[in-house]
Parts: sequence; C-alpha cells; structure tokens
Amino acid sequence: MPKHIASGLKYLAALELVRDGYSQKQISKMLNVNKSTLSHYLNGRNISLGSIEIAEIVREFSPRDFLVFTDAIIEDKEATKTIVKTCLVNKYSVEVKDSCIGCGICVDTCLIDAIVLDDLKAHIDSDICCGCQICAEKCPTNSINILEE
Amino acid sequence: MAANIKEVKAKDFNVERSAEEDRELSFKDESCVGCGVCESICPVGAIKLGSVGAIVRNDIDESKIEIDEEKCVLCGMCSVGCPVDALEFTVDGTPISEIETYPKLISSAEIDDDTCIYCKACERACPREAITVARQLPDRSKLVTGEIDIDKETCIDCGICEEMCPADAITIDQKGPEDFDIAVDKDKCVYCLVCKKACPVDAIMAACRTCSYGEYDLDPKDAEVTGKALIDDDACVRCGWCEEVCPVDAAKVEKPFEGELNLDLDKCTTCGACVDVCPCDVLFFPKSSAPGTIDDKLMKDEQFCIYCGACENVCPVEAIDVKRTGIKCTPTKSKSWQKSIDSLKTN
Amino acid sequence: MELKVNQDNCLGCGVCVVACPVNVSISPEVSGGHGSKTTETIMMVENGVIKLFSEDKCTKCGTCQVFCPTDAIWLE
Repeated sequence: MPKHIASGLKYLAALELVRDGYSQKQISKMLNVNKSTLSHYLNGRNISLGSIEIAEIVREFSPRDFLVFTDAIIEDKEATKTIVKTCLVNKYSVEVKDSCIGCGICVDTCLIDAIVLDDLKAHIDSDICCGCQICAEKCPTNSINILEE
Repeated sequence: MAANIKEVKAKDFNVERSAEEDRELSFKDESCVGCGVCESICPVGAIKLGSVGAIVRNDIDESKIEIDEEKCVLCGMCSVGCPVDALEFTVDGTPISEIETYPKLISSAEIDDDTCIYCKACERACPREAITVARQLPDRSKLVTGEIDIDKETCIDCGICEEMCPADAITIDQKGPEDFDIAVDKDKCVYCLVCKKACPVDAIMAACRTCSYGEYDLDPKDAEVTGKALIDDDACVRCGWCEEVCPVDAAKVEKPFEGELNLDLDKCTTCGACVDVCPCDVLFFPKSSAPGTIDDKLMKDEQFCIYCGACENVCPVEAIDVKRTGIKCTPTKSKSWQKSIDSLKTN
Repeated sequence: MELKVNQDNCLGCGVCVVACPVNVSISPEVSGGHGSKTTETIMMVENGVIKLFSEDKCTKCGTCQVFCPTDAIWLE
C-alpha cells in the first residue's frame, strides 16, 4: 500500500514537472523512477486504483505533514525533495535572527537540506523551504521565523 | 534527528551528535578549575557547576561540572569561554580552536628555550605543576683542570682520602690484607686538594690549574647547561607565576581575561575555601607579623589572578567579587557569539 | 551533594559549628565559641552531639569536613 501511494505522489509530481517543461528523461532522474514506469504514469496506467486520489488528499495536508509523510514513504531523499518542491506551491520567506548560535540542530533536522551553516549562523534557502516549521520548533534560541508569502 | 550521545569516563565526559556534521564536546575534569564560565555562557542552561569547594577540598569523587545532554545543543560556546581548555569541542574531528569562523580566547604561556637558563624557578613556582624543565648538566671534568697522582709506594692504605673525597673520585681495591690498588677517576676529580691535605704520609701530589693559572684552558662552551622547558597546556592556567619568577625573562604569559579582584574582609570568615580553590595561588592567609597582632584576614597577589571567578563562586558568604572588565578574543562575525562572549564581562 | 552527619562518630567538639562560614554570618556569637541562640544556623551541638538544623543553607564549601577531627560531618 505505501508503495502505491508513493507512486501516486510521484505521478502528481511528474505531471507538474511536465507542465514546467522538463523532459521525461530529466523527470525520471529527478523522481528516481525508470523511464518506462514514468511513461506509464503519465499515460495514467500502471497506477493502482485510488492511489492518485489518496495522493491528492495527501497533497492537501499541512506542509509539515506532507513533508513528513512523503519522507516516510519515498525512500529516495532527492525524490522527496523534488516531490515536496513541485507539489507544495506556497512560497515562504525565512528569516534567521542574529540570536542564532550556529548549533546546527536545524541543519540536522531539515528533511530537504534547505539549511547550511555559515559564520556560525544558519542560512535557509527560501526557494527550497517547504514551510514545515520543524527547524523553527527545534531551534534552541527561537531564531527562525518562517512566514508564508 | 540524531540524539546526543553522552559517554562518561570517571569524572570526564563526552557528548556527541552525528548527523550532517559530527559534533563532539569533551570535558577533562583534571584541567577544570571550577570557575563556572561554561555554566554562565551556555545558551541553553545545559551545564551546572558542581559543589567545587567540597570537591576540591575533600577530594570528593565527583565531576566539577555536570552536563545535561538532553539540553546541550553542541554549539561549542562553553569550549570557547573556558579559560583553561577543559572543554574541547570538535566539528568533524577538527577542534574549533583551529576553525577560523569560531572565536577563540587569546591566551598563551611560552618559555623561550634560547633565553632559558634551566634554573627551574618556574617549575617550582607553577601552582598547577604544569612546567617540566629537562636539563643536561655539563661534565664536571670539563669545568676544572689539574693534575693528581698517588704514590703507591708511600701510600699506607689508610683509606682516609677515599673517605674524604667529596667527589667519590678515589677508590681503593683491597685485594688482600696487604695487597691493594688505589686509583683516581679523573672524570670525577675536581682538584679540590682535600685528599692531598688529609693524607697522613704525603703520598698524594695534586695541583689545581684553575686556581694557579686561571681558566686559560677551559672552553666556556663546555660549561653550558642545555635542556628544554615544557609547559603542559592541559594543566597551565596562564596565571603568570613563571613569568614573574623567571630571572632572565624567558617566560611570557598572556591572560585571556582582564579584571579586578575585590575582597570584603568584613564578610570573610577565613574558611579558606577560596584559598583552596584558586588555581593560581593568588589568595593566601597572612602570617602574623608579631604575637597578638591582627593582620588582614585574607590577602591576594592579584598579579597572578586570571579573573576566572572560581573563588567568588565558592565563597559561602559573598566576600569576594571578581570583576571581568576585558575579554581578549579573536573576532567573530556572529552577533550572538559576540554577545555571549561580551556577557562574560561583569558590570 | 548533601551535608551528612554521623552522630555516633561526633565528639561534640563544635569545631564545625565555629568553622562554618555560614553559621558565623548568621550568628556571629558562634565564632567566639558560644552556642548559637537560634536554629537558623546550619548545625549546632545539642546534647553533646552535632545536629543539622538548616542544612538547606549549606553552600557546600566543605569547611566543616576539613576541620572535623572524626569524619562525623561530610558532604556526599
């Protein structure tokens, strides 16, 4: 069953990526699916009944739930990042306050590698950030503000 | 997320988190002076200073600080603040003292081998037993010159010269009741002429050339003491005793903190906790100058103070006030780190 | 770490009472060798043996333990 939902999510992401103009070859790499499976997906085949519907429900989850769920059922981290980025459309502006001590807990926590440390301060890539807020909650100095744009 | 793993070994501990980076904090109780700087700089309140007075004075088997590994976020601030390097913090195996982005207290203690005369004054004065002076002395035979000869025919085998020789240079080999050999080890003999003067039968002829003709045939290079003075960085607290006692200014010490040490003698009850805890031998009880005289209860040699604050923390009656007015530290771009370092200054 | 006493070992000499810096600051007369007039002090000799009264005031400086001749008072 989890595999079916995973296919559903990959299908949704693939559709978005096609719309964004990526080639099937590129998409198969980005989602870690082989090309023939991908072409089946895009033709609406090879997906068990209900998977797409469930994936669409999952897509309506809060960013955090969507991310945690996706991370749990998609085994490949890069694919998770692609799915989250294509399926979650909201934009976030992220501010790291000067009270950041550079402990790196956010870096360790972030499931999609949106954070790096530089000069003892966290730097969060707003383009990658999916707004899950996990880092903000774990931050020992409450230095992270994530706002929906 | 990876949780912190704590490992305790006797009074030392390690806290580790391995994820994107491997972060590790290690504490060495032996180096710790119980000053509490780590406790005050920790941004998440994970470090608690123990009962340092009781631990140091009564040899209690307890660590001077405790860390709550659930609270610790492995930021490394305690390591930067520690004035005695008891807390080491590494990122991916590299100590942060070698990583430029991290600030670092500026302190050092060095003994210049070119200037050092290996007199060991620093070794004796160091309150932390952190200095070892290893020295090689010149051969005694190269510092003296002379001649000595014992006339075996005249010698009566009395043994007086052997007994009196201060350098143990004369040996008599007793082979039988009347059969003996007598020999002088010229590497040991210093031509002091004691044997010659003591011999009851004038069997010894000896002359000291240094006395008669001066030092014409001695090479001053042969008289040089060579060696090496080593400072154990783990034990050294940069107190400056070595610099003060060095007769040739070979020792140089830079302290990380500047400040003031104030004693309130009205409050002091002379319990001695501060004297026992001070890592720098700054505080002491004066010897009474005359019977019946009342001197100050407690005295200080403030030039050796590192303003760590251990005495203030341990004083049960708040009779000690340590003010830190300056922190010597390399710059950091992080505002929060700069703020934390500045917070070590007392107003 | 806690302050502990063993009354079986105690000689009742009162050295700890006098040496304790907190006692002296609470009740200055103890430094003259007089008994404290108040149970506000950390410890006192009562009926010939040491007894703890306000051990919560102990700052754990270890002075009592340093001076006790019979190891009847200690921190652990």
